[in-house]
Amino acid sequence: MIKLENVTKSYSTEVTALQDASFDVAKAEFVFLVGPSGSGKSTLLRLMNRQEKPEKGEVWVAGRNINDMPDAKVPHLRRNIGNIFQDYKLLANKTVFENVAFALEVIGRPKHVIRQQVPAVLDLVGLSGKQERFPHQLSGGEQQRVSIARAFVNRPLILLADEPTGNLDPTTGEGIMRLLDRINKTGTTVVMATHDQRIVNMMRKRVIQLDRGIIVRDQARGVYE
Amino acid sequence: MFSRLSYTFREMWASLRRNFTLTAAAIITAAVSLFILGLTLLVLRGFDNQLSQWSGGVELIVYVENDATPEQLQVVRDALESNPAVIDVDKLEYLDVDASLAEAQRLFAGDPETLQLLTAENIPTQFKVVPQPDASAELLTEIASSYKERLPKVISVAFPSKQIDVLSTLRGVVQFVLYLITLILLFSAVLLIWNTIRTAMFARRREIEVMKLVGATNWFIRVPFMLEGLIQGLVGAVFASGGVLTANWYWTSTVQSFPPDSGFGAFVVTGNYPQWVVFWLIVLGMLVGAIGSGTAASKFLDV
Repeated sequence: MIKLENVTKSYSTEVTALQDASFDVAKAEFVFLVGPSGSGKSTLLRLMNRQEKPEKGEVWVAGRNINDMPDAKVPHLRRNIGNIFQDYKLLANKTVFENVAFALEVIGRPKHVIRQQVPAVLDLVGLSGKQERFPHQLSGGEQQRVSIARAFVNRPLILLADEPTGNLDPTTGEGIMRLLDRINKTGTTVVMATHDQRIVNMMRKRVIQLDRGIIVRDQARGVYE
Repeated sequence: MFSRLSYTFREMWASLRRNFTLTAAAIITAAVSLFILGLTLLVLRGFDNQLSQWSGGVELIVYVENDATPEQLQVVRDALESNPAVIDVDKLEYLDVDASLAEAQRLFAGDPETLQLLTAENIPTQFKVVPQPDASAELLTEIASSYKERLPKVISVAFPSKQIDVLSTLRGVVQFVLYLITLILLFSAVLLIWNTIRTAMFARRREIEVMKLVGATNWFIRVPFMLEGLIQGLVGAVFASGGVLTANWYWTSTVQSFPPDSGFGAFVVTGNYPQWVVFWLIVLGMLVGAIGSGTAASKFLDV
């Protein structure tokens, strides 16, 4: 589903965010990217949805080399990738329903599809009774669930999650991980950057560890260390 | 398709309301600049009307009575053509009754009383004479001064007065100054619209970020902003057009109350010209809006 070949990315001559990174992620796999802040986890995620381009190497997503992809095609690539963030990135002036519907509306989905898919995905994330609430009326965990619903409502092939439990207490974080695990079991590939040791150790999924831009470990059913 | 359209218009309207003060400033600037442009076009048209009988280098007009026979007209023509060293024979033009009436419609547009007196039965016909480039004005005057006495049916011979030169110079000055002011104001309107759109995009940067991440195309994101600028230009142009038509109506009715020989008759613009001006003001207003918003929407998409 995702393949990186000798990818190098630097933001300046002094700072190399990623150096010669290579790995494959299979369809429906769940992968943790771990490492301290600045180790290159977020850069890896940004390379996968073409928010960044590498200096060297190739990034393949769903069978396509996305480095060579014309800019006009990038939006179509992103419709197959859901994004989840530590700060949720919800729109404060929109309700829960509108926030999730927004993701379908801006890619031109018809109203009847939106009316059908949004309640279904809100039900999946456990927010079916809170459609009309605004983000500030929700807890952090609930806001992250809205963010997951928005990322998943278009049934993407891949979910990229950047520290999704970073702002949550341990119990709420576990709930979010159970939800991501359920989504993963529907066949969606999940790549999650985190430095939440407890969660990585609890899930026992594949772990790719980075240190100053270099992959130092790639372990199936790994732990944080 | 319908959901996209409804999204586009909803977002455009929300943004217009959110940035009300900037939007109003942009519309007013566009309206003022286009209003001045519209007035400029009308004023220049007035000058052109006044100068039209002397256009194409005509420096002498021989007026002939309406009932001159073809033979008498030929005598006049022969006399004019007998001086090829002074008169450019190829450019000698004869305006018959119809052509003279059409010209009078322009010259006396703001003077209906005089216009009413001119009919196909009494309007003089005219020979328009262009002198050779190297012919002296004195020689031309000397030759033409005897026409009234010696040629049949000649009513009068008219030379361009110094007023025509003054009018031509004045027209040039008016054109330069008003076009310059218009250009500066139009540029300000583009900049203001550009700035309004930039502010609107900055206010919605989070939404734009989310839209890009969920796969909205750049055009989908841009269109509501571009439409917003287009509407600002259009509304400005509509106000300007209303102003121009009102000013023209007020000027026309004022000139019509002047005495018949006031000399301002030709400065009244009638016919389809004001509508033509309005059409171009609307087109230009939309263009100003589209340029301002289009460049901003492209430049600031990476918010």
